Parts: sequence; C-alpha cells; structure tokens
Amino acid sequence: MDRRKLIKSCSLVAVGSMFVPGFFDKVLAGEKEIYKKYNKTLLIKEDGTPITSKDIPDNTVLLFFYPYKSTPCYIINTGEEVKPTKVKLSDGKEYEFKGGIGNKKSIVAYSAICPHQWSYPTKDFSLINYYPSNQKSETTGKSGVIQCCAHISVFDVKNGGQVIEGPAELPLACVELLEEDGKIYATAVVGPNQFEEFFDMYKSDLIEQYGNIEKAKELLDKTVVMEVGKHVKEQIRC
Amino acid sequence: MLKNKLDVNRRQFLASSALIAAGSVIPEISFAKEDILPTKSAKVVIVGGGYGGVSAARQLRKLNPDLSITIIDKNPFFVSCPMSNLYLGDFYEFGNLCFPYQPLKAKYNIDFINSKVLDVDLDKKVVITQNERISYDFLILSPGISYDVDQSQKDFFIKYPPAFKPGGEHLYLKRLLESFNGGDIVISVPSYPYRCPPAPYERAALILNYITKRKLKAHLYFIDANERPIINSEGFMKAYYKLYKGYADYITGVTVKEIDTTKNVVKTTNGDFRFDLANIIPPMKASRIIEKIGLLEKGQKWVEVDTFTFETKVPNVFVIGDSARSFLPKSGFGANMQGKIVANLITERITGKKLKQEELLMVLCYSMVSDKEAIMSETSFKIDKTKNVITPIHREDNTRRESTVKRYHEWAKGLWREMFG
Repeated sequence: MDRRKLIKSCSLVAVGSMFVPGFFDKVLAGEKEIYKKYNKTLLIKEDGTPITSKDIPDNTVLLFFYPYKSTPCYIINTGEEVKPTKVKLSDGKEYEFKGGIGNKKSIVAYSAICPHQWSYPTKDFSLINYYPSNQKSETTGKSGVIQCCAHISVFDVKNGGQVIEGPAELPLACVELLEEDGKIYATAVVGPNQFEEFFDMYKSDLIEQYGNIEKAKELLDKTVVMEVGKHVKEQIRC
Repeated sequence: MLKNKLDVNRRQFLASSALIAAGSVIPEISFAKEDILPTKSAKVVIVGGGYGGVSAARQLRKLNPDLSITIIDKNPFFVSCPMSNLYLGDFYEFGNLCFPYQPLKAKYNIDFINSKVLDVDLDKKVVITQNERISYDFLILSPGISYDVDQSQKDFFIKYPPAFKPGGEHLYLKRLLESFNGGDIVISVPSYPYRCPPAPYERAALILNYITKRKLKAHLYFIDANERPIINSEGFMKAYYKLYKGYADYITGVTVKEIDTTKNVVKTTNGDFRFDLANIIPPMKASRIIEKIGLLEKGQKWVEVDTFTFETKVPNVFVIGDSARSFLPKSGFGANMQGKIVANLITERITGKKLKQEELLMVLCYSMVSDKEAIMSETSFKIDKTKNVITPIHREDNTRRESTVKRYHEWAKGLWREMFG
C-alpha cells in the first residue's frame, strides 16, 4: 500500500494541513498515536453468520473483541445519525472521527477500555457502560454517553468519544467500521488506543485467563458480537 | 444509642462544609513567577512517594522522556492509606495495599532514593538527606501530614496508633484489634481539615462491623469534634442506626482535651470515657519537613500555595497533597490530580509548549459501611481562571450498595495501575 492510499483509507485527515509541504510524512508520524490499522475483521453473530446493521436496533449496545482476542469494544446504535467530527487532544492535535454507519449512519464502535485508568468489562462486572438516549446516568444525568463509574469519566458517543466530564485526559478510542455488501467489518482503531497499557497492566490476569499473553494478543479475522450480559455478569451503572 | 440527628440536608452540608463554598472567589496572593526556563536536562526532585509524588513522577515521565526525575521517601515501599480501613476491618489483605518502588526505575527510569529528607537548601536548590545532597531545578514536596500533638502525648500514640500514616501504624492497630476481647472502644475525630474526610467514619463503621461479626461484648464511643459526619452524613448515620444500633454512642461537637494513659481514660469537652481500646485520631498539620524547610508560615498548619499551580512563594518549588492548603479535599485522589497539574506546569516551563488547562477537577471518595456495602461522594470543581472563581458541585450516593464496593475497589486499583503499573 502506498502512502497516499493508506491516508485515503484512514478517514483520518489532519485538519488544515492538506496543502502543507511534507504533510504526509507528518501525518504518518502522527499515525502511531492516533490511527492504527489492524485486521479487517468480520463481525459475526453467535451463530457464525455475519451481523448486519438490522441486527443492531436503536439504543442498543453489543460487545465484541477487537483488534485482539482480549480487548473489548462496544458497538452501539445511537438511534440517530452520528456525524463526522473533529476530536481534539490536550496537546492540540486533532483527528477526524468519520461518524456512524448503517442506514441512519447511527452505528458506531468504541474500545471499552477506559483511557483514564484502564477499567474494562471483565467477566465479573463492567463499570464502563453505554447509557442510551432513553437512560440517563443517575450520577451525571447524562445519556447517549459511555460512562465509567470507577472515576466517573464520561465520553460522548456521538462526538468521537470526546471527554465530556471527569478525570480522563484522553478520548475513548474509536473502532473504524466498514459496511460492505451488508456485512460489517472493523478495520482500524482511531484515537489514542490503550492496548499497550492494557497488556502491561493486566498481564497476570490475561495469562491466567488465556494461558499466555500471546494468546491474549491474537489478532482476529472474525469476531463474535454478543449482548453485553453474555460476557459480563453485572453491568454496574451509576 | 446514637445521638446525632439525621436531618442534615445537602445544602446545609455544603454551606457548613469545610470544602470551598460555591462560587468562591480566590483571594489574590502573590506567588512565585519564574521567568527563566530551565533546559531540557532539568532535574526534578520529589520529596514523598505517596499518591501525589508518584503521580507527579509518572505524569512527568509520560510528557518528558529525558527528564531526570528522583523520588525520595523514608519508606522502602509504598503503602496505601486509601483502602487501609478494609484491612483493619479484616476483609482486605495488607499486601494488597503495598507496592514496590522498583518498577518506577525499571520501567520508567524514575530514580528512587530510600532515605529521610533532613532539610532543603532553597537558595542552593539542594535536598539534604541522611546520606547525600541532591540538587534540583524543580522541587515537588509531597510529604503528607504530621500529627499535631504535644511531645507528652507521643508515647500514647505509639501505644494506640492513629493509623493515618501508612505502614506500621495500621499493622499495629490491627494487632490491637485482633487481641481485643471486648469492652469499651473510643474513636475520636478531629475538626476538619484532616487527611481523608470520610476515613474516620468508615473506620468507625468497620470496627463496629468487626465487633458485631465476632459477637464481642463491646461498645464504641465515637467522639466527633464535628457536628456530623463531614461527608456522606446521611449514608453514615443510616448505616450506624440500621446496622450497629446499640453498639455505639455517637457524640458530636466534642473534642478530646487530654488522655490519661495510666487509667485509660479520654477526657473530652463532654465528659470522660474509659477505654480498653482507643483510636484517637489527632489533629493534623503539614509534614514537619515543610516546617523545617521554612515554607510553613508561623502559626499556620498548612502551606499556602498558589490555588491553581500549587507553587509556593519560592519559584519552582511546589507543595502538593495533604500538606498544601487547597480547595481540593485532602485525599489520595486529590493528590493524584495535583501531581498531574504540577507535572504539566513543569513540562510547560521546560518545553515552552502550552498544554490544555484544567477546567474541571474532581475528587471521589468511597466508604465501606460494612464488609458488604459502600457509599460514595463526588465533588467536581469547575475552574474559571479568568474570573478567579472555583465552583464546586457536590454529589453523594448515600444508598448502601454492594455494587459501590466494586466501584471502590476499581477506583483504588485504577489509581495504583496509573502509579505503579
């Protein structure tokens, strides 16, 4: 893949930099931090058939693992169009979030690893959960958000995972979705992903769960999309 | 019988709270302004390897790969005060509170010196420890608290440790509790401010939980210099009534005057209380090393620092955590945030790059009220630097929940991951 094609496919365009000489080099250097392409992974249902946008009703959240076998993500149908937007980081860097997919462009996906202090949905419980537009958080009164109840960081699902409230310094990393012939693929992670930290922080847990760390780091070609309750015993909301 | 009233509403609480009043305008105080930017090879020395110090070090390293960062602490490893009441309550392993400092060097090239700081020469910019002199360009002081007690009381506090400083005090208090065979217990709370606002109330609940689980013939006299639990008042009072009725007297607005160590009697402004086991939590003040250095004004208990930067009147010398007078409550979570703020500021001074300014700071406090259930509170502080105004928003969840226990554990583990992971 040449550099131009890669950039085009990334849906990541450094704002206001298109005509600056050396732009591609700069973007590519920045990509390590804010854009990472992984396997083109087919999202499937538990029966093994590909999931379609019709299988994800409005105001629904489902869980899948991407790009690694052990890294959880949420796919969410917000019920309304999610438009492309720019996400700004605290150091001033910006990147583009390309918005939703599906008929209504209302389906988005995010990493479920909190970028604050790496809370994630375990088999026992999840403190980081989606609050659909019809279900407000008791604590913050917010809806249409992903909220982590460990330290009350709130992320705006309709705005590229930007932090609305709480101590998180970084937005939630977004999973880039591609809809092709009715099938849905995850293709990349946009935004500062937390995978390196996740594997480091939870190494002993992951070894216990997967047998060895290499298995936890296996990249997926297909990934099962499931109800959150199928993976997590208790979704703790606040 | 518990004697305090439960009719405390949140507005009253906020108004009376020692937390900053809503919309407070910060008084203009002249603090250091540093014009000369040190070079990229700057040296940062951090006194105190607690929540503030380690958080500052990690944030500095995240932003400055080549910076020289040194933490000095008299303890050989970190012991968390947050969660330590769960250990005293006998349902949390002490080892879970402990973290070695070695990974800071091995993984993040942050030097650690296990030594006691004897003094700091602010003119020469040198920290003097038991074994060496360490020069600095930036100094972050995060040494925690000292107990504000008379020399004559020192022996008593060795015999009955307050357990508000990490480490041995908790271990010894737990031994005392384990060998307690029934009788009278006295726990006292000083006037706010002190370290970790809900901690004495959580401790009282967990010691009551301990004695009821063991069916000990015991009674707690819980003597509070404040008029009510200063945080989560409703949640604590409900727990005391519902879970431990008949096991305790909660006596408020009363201060400890004297301790008769020969007769095991605590003399208060509202009578004497004999005890078989005591946990007198004394008034606190900034760590003695701060006083020794000369950064504590005469007659003051906490160090005056710039409200937003935590810089003292000496340029590039910062005081964070429980020693500082701050709008943030004295807590591990608050120290963690302060550490990051100071690290960002130092990075700006070193690199000349402006980082995004904090517009909102928050402190979360969780408290167990039994071995199964917890309550929590959150205070967010909206910062408007242009108007010099800080507006707090306080929220409490006073319903006892098992799910809040899981949040509590994850709250602590998250902080520890960020500091030591």
